[in-house]
Amino acid sequence: MPGGTLNAVDGISFDVDRGEIVGIVGESGSGKTMTALSLLRLIPEPGKITSGKILYGEQDVVQMSDEEIREFRGNEVAMIFQDPMTSLNPVLRVGFQVEEAMAAHNRFTRQQARDRVIPMLQRVRIPAAKDRVRDYPHQFSGGMRQRAMIAMGVSNEPSLLIADEPTTALDVTVQASIIELLRDISRELRAAVILITHNMALVASLCNRVIVMYAGRIVEEGPTRAIFKNPQHPYTWSLLRSMPRVDETTRERLISIKGLPPDLGKMPPGCKFHPRCKFRVDRCLTEEPPLAEVDPGQDARCWVLMKNVQNPEAIAQK
Amino acid sequence: MAQAAPVIQPDLELSYEMPEQATLLSDAWRRIRRNRLALVGGVIIAILFITALISIVWTPYPVWLQAVGPTYQPPSAGHPLGLDQAGRDILSRIMGGALITIEVGVGSAIIVSLIGIPLGLLAGFYRGSVDTAISFFINIWYGIPDLLVALILVFVLSDALHLIPRGVFVIIVAFSLTRWMDVARLVRGQSLALREREFVEAARMSGARDFSLLLRHIFPNALGPIIVQATFAIPAAVLFEAFLSFLGLGLPSPTPSWGAMAADGYHGMDFAPHIVLAPTIALSLTLMAFNWVGDGLRDAFDPRMRR
Repeated sequence: MPGGTLNAVDGISFDVDRGEIVGIVGESGSGKTMTALSLLRLIPEPGKITSGKILYGEQDVVQMSDEEIREFRGNEVAMIFQDPMTSLNPVLRVGFQVEEAMAAHNRFTRQQARDRVIPMLQRVRIPAAKDRVRDYPHQFSGGMRQRAMIAMGVSNEPSLLIADEPTTALDVTVQASIIELLRDISRELRAAVILITHNMALVASLCNRVIVMYAGRIVEEGPTRAIFKNPQHPYTWSLLRSMPRVDETTRERLISIKGLPPDLGKMPPGCKFHPRCKFRVDRCLTEEPPLAEVDPGQDARCWVLMKNVQNPEAIAQK
Repeated sequence: MAQAAPVIQPDLELSYEMPEQATLLSDAWRRIRRNRLALVGGVIIAILFITALISIVWTPYPVWLQAVGPTYQPPSAGHPLGLDQAGRDILSRIMGGALITIEVGVGSAIIVSLIGIPLGLLAGFYRGSVDTAISFFINIWYGIPDLLVALILVFVLSDALHLIPRGVFVIIVAFSLTRWMDVARLVRGQSLALREREFVEAARMSGARDFSLLLRHIFPNALGPIIVQATFAIPAAVLFEAFLSFLGLGLPSPTPSWGAMAADGYHGMDFAPHIVLAPTIALSLTLMAFNWVGDGLRDAFDPRMRR
C-alpha cells in the first residue's frame, strides 16, 4: 500500500461555551472520536494534528509544552469513555484510582485527595460509597463503574467534560441515570460538555447544540431544537429518518442510508456525501460546499441549500 | 380430555455466596491450592527454607569438621546420611547447602528481576528508539554463551582482580548478568500489550505522568507473569551454582555447596554412592519443587483459567 497522508478530520471548527452541552453525532468513522481526542492532543499514532489551533481560554492546546498538556489533561478537560469495563485498572481499588486522578495534579495534596474520594463517590451516587471505596472494579456493576469513571473525571473540577459514547455499553435503565448524573454534575460544576454519540434520542434530551459530522467534516451545526425540527442537510435528514421515534404516529418506514461512508483513502471529489445523496446536483460532484448559515444559528454544508442563503457568492469566496 | 402437562415447571430457590474480596494474589492463591503438584513443591520448598534457617544456628556437626568418623562411612544411626571422603557429616553439609542454595536462588531471582523489569517496562512503554536500543542489547546478550561469560566473570572479578571474593555473591552477579534477558523480554511484551489497554489510555487522559502509568497501571498488571518468570529463575540459578561448583569453579572448598559435594563424592561412586546421591537428590528435589510451583503459578495467573 502506498504511503501518504489521510485527512481523517478536515477543517473542523466550533466553539463550546461554559455550561453548554454540545452533541457531536455521525456514523462510525466520521471522525467524532478523533476530534475529541485531538482536543487533548491524544490522537493515536501515527496520527497528528497537521495544522490548526485549539483555543482553551487564551491558551492554544496545540502549542502547549508536554508538561503543560499533561497538567491540562484531567485538570481542565476530563474524558469519559465508552466502555467502563476496560477503562478502570483491574488490579487497583476503585477509591485509589479516584485518588490517583486527583493526585496527578497540583490542585490537591495527597491527603486532600484521599479525603475527597468518598465525597466524590457519593456525589456520583454510588450507594454505600464508604464501603465501596475499597472494592476492585470487577466488584462494581457496569453502571457503577461508569459512575466511578465520572467521579475520576470530575474530581479535579474540570471546565470541560468530553463524554465519548458514555452509555453505549450500558443497559437502557442505567443509561438514563448516567445521563441524568452527567447533566447534574456539569450543571454543578458549570462545566461545558461535549457528548459524542450516535444516539439521536440522547442528543435530543441532553444537548443544547448539535454538530453533525460526516467524513471528517462538519456537515451541519445548530441548536438542537432546530436540527430536530428542521434538519437542513440531507445527511442529517437521513440520520433522523433512520431513527425510530415514539412520539410520531405516522406509519413511515424507517429509512436506512444507502451505501457506506467514504474510505478516507478514496474520498470522492466535491461534496463528500454526494454518492449517497438523493438531492445531488451537478455542482456537488466537483466542488465542495462551504459551511454556511442556512437559518439563523444553523449552518449546513450543502449546495442545494444555498438558495436559502442570503448572499451565496460572498460565502463561496470565504 | 387430559390437560396438557407443562413442559417444565421450575420451583427453585437460588442462593449465592458473595465471595470474599478477591485480589489477583488471593485469586491465584485459591487456585494454586487446588494444584497438587504445586502443593507438593510448596511443601518441599518450605522444608528447604526451614532446613536452611535451622542450619544457621545448628547443624549436627560443623559443616567443615573433618574426621568426625571413618571416611566413606555409609549411612548409620549417628550419621543418617553417612560421612564423605574427608569424614565430614553429610547431613550437616546438606543442611548448610540448603542455605547456600536459597541464597543463590532467591538472590539471583531478585537481581535478575531488578535488571529485567525496568528495562522491559521502558522498552515496551516508550517503544521507538528506546525499545530498539534495549531490544538490541537483549538480542546481543542472548547470543553470548552465558556459561563462558560467567566463568570469565568469576575468574576476573574474584581470582584475578580480587574485587569480589569467591562466594555466593559472585555467582549471583555472574548469573544475573547473563540471564536478565528472559525477564526483560517478558516484561517488554507485557508492557507493549498493556500500554494499549484502555485504562492506561484513560489514566493518560486524566493527566497521569509516565512514571505513574508505569508504576501504577502497567507494572501491577504484569506482576503475575513476572512472579512466574522469577520463580523459574530460582531453579536455573541453583543449577548454575551447582554446575559451577561441580566443576570446581564455584564456591571454594569447605563451603557445603551441593554441586561441590557431588564432585567430592564422584571419585568414590562405585563403593560409596551415598556421597554423590545425597546432594544430587536434594538438588533434584529442589529443582523439581521450584518448577512445579512455577508451573502452578503460571496456571494460577493465567487469565484464561479464571473461574
